[in-house]
Amino acid sequence: MTNGADIFTITIRKRPWWFWALAGLWLLVEVLLLQTALASVEEGEVRAAAISWIAATVLAAAGVLAWLHRGRPHRLGESKGQH
Amino acid sequence: MEDRRKQTGRRALLKAGGLVAVSGALGSLGALVTGTGTGDHVRKRARWVKVVDRPTLGEKTADFKRFSGRDMFALYPPLKTQREGTGSFEAEQASKAKRLVAWINERKPGFSLPDQQLSEGAWTVMRSTRPGTGLLSWTRTHERKPTEPSAQRYTASPEEMASTVKAAARLYGARLVGIASMNESYVNLQVPQEDEKQKDKDIVFEDVDVPAVTDTRFVIPRKMKWVIVIAIPMDLDLLSRAPTALGDAASALGYSHSAFVVSSLAVFIRGLGYEAIPCVNDTAQSIPFALDAGIGELSRLNKLVTPEFGPAVRLCKVFTDLPMAFDKPVDFGLVQFCKNCKKCAESCPSRALSFDDEPSFKTRGPWNNPGHKAWFEDSYKCFQYWQKSGSACGICLVSCPYTKGNEAWIHEGVKAIASIAPATDGVFRIMDNAFGYGKQRDPEQWWTKDPPSGRRG
Repeated sequence: MTNGADIFTITIRKRPWWFWALAGLWLLVEVLLLQTALASVEEGEVRAAAISWIAATVLAAAGVLAWLHRGRPHRLGESKGQH
Repeated sequence: MEDRRKQTGRRALLKAGGLVAVSGALGSLGALVTGTGTGDHVRKRARWVKVVDRPTLGEKTADFKRFSGRDMFALYPPLKTQREGTGSFEAEQASKAKRLVAWINERKPGFSLPDQQLSEGAWTVMRSTRPGTGLLSWTRTHERKPTEPSAQRYTASPEEMASTVKAAARLYGARLVGIASMNESYVNLQVPQEDEKQKDKDIVFEDVDVPAVTDTRFVIPRKMKWVIVIAIPMDLDLLSRAPTALGDAASALGYSHSAFVVSSLAVFIRGLGYEAIPCVNDTAQSIPFALDAGIGELSRLNKLVTPEFGPAVRLCKVFTDLPMAFDKPVDFGLVQFCKNCKKCAESCPSRALSFDDEPSFKTRGPWNNPGHKAWFEDSYKCFQYWQKSGSACGICLVSCPYTKGNEAWIHEGVKAIASIAPATDGVFRIMDNAFGYGKQRDPEQWWTKDPPSGRRG
């Protein structure tokens, strides 16, 4: 894409199949943990609820970090190469 | 360039946040779905509950005979006297009574006056029953006139009949219903009489048209070849407060509910033009009939464990001559799980349950009926703990990993995996402990729950 004097490139990378498989698995486990947490509150199982909430939160945070980490090296690598 | 990077990063963060939000929404939706599901009756078994030709445990030998009918309540006093001397039973009862009164005055959690009276109230219906009379009458309580609709006999295919009867049973409060064929060896020899001076009444099978209760005998017509077996789940909120009077209330309510269900179902069947004998714990052994009817499997507790509610159920049954399609026994991997688990035996405060790796034919006292394979329990020790704790305990029922609220999907998943992969049993047992399942809950908290009760499995 040309914009006057400054030239930069946006590369759209297709994520590999295993990434989506992993994301699907992550989502499944996350849903299961959240359901367990909510249901355990209903069941009056305090410890099970606490463990499930913690696990769901940790997994959610790990998912977010993995997503961000996955994007960063490519951009950095390309920017180093371009500039 | 730096701005663009920031924008791309934010987009990624938003995407991730979106995913979390979606999963959260799905989780909430799931909780709602399962929440409404807990009130449903179990019509269709989960796929991991396999139908088999014979029960997975309880195989019988030639020694298997009809049981006397004298339960632990009747057996305990003479056994206590025999083992610990004359007057030991009376002294134990007096000490227990004194203790219960003291606990009322102390307002001991789980044994305060409201706690104890909650249990008494829950017993009301059951305590008003006696085999063969009133709610548990073996015959019509009023004579049919030819003009009455109930004078007609309803006919349909055995499958339709089974479906109709099961629907009626569910309406009255049954959560699991199965049909077994009559096996005379499961029927007790006698109905013990409350008055010790009176002779126990014999239960006999005869080629007669209607059941009869006389001064000396209970007569079951041989044409009654069908047994409707019913499981009533116990209230887990109450049971998880065991061993207290609140835990007792769960048992009491289960019994009273059973009496209501079988008596209502018997009247329904008689109205269709057939005979019916409603029974709770009396008249016959419920567990072997329940095994044949596919209600559950025999466990280390030497009690029935159902796939849906674990051992936290009360069993009752109705004998009838109404032709119905029979159900078959089930296998959901319980026997193998019990071999590995042993959590109930470890939780039992009186060490009454078997720690043996394998079930055997070796009985442990006159309370056990010989001639079948099982993990036999020491009911004497169990009953002694009842006297000591001032309650009917129930810890083993709560500690079983199959006793769970039915809200969380994961319970179903764990049971499904355990049914096909016994190698995972040990892990599930460890996880069950780690998640804190089966622990006694604070009795005082029960009264402030909103709603205070009503959850069954």
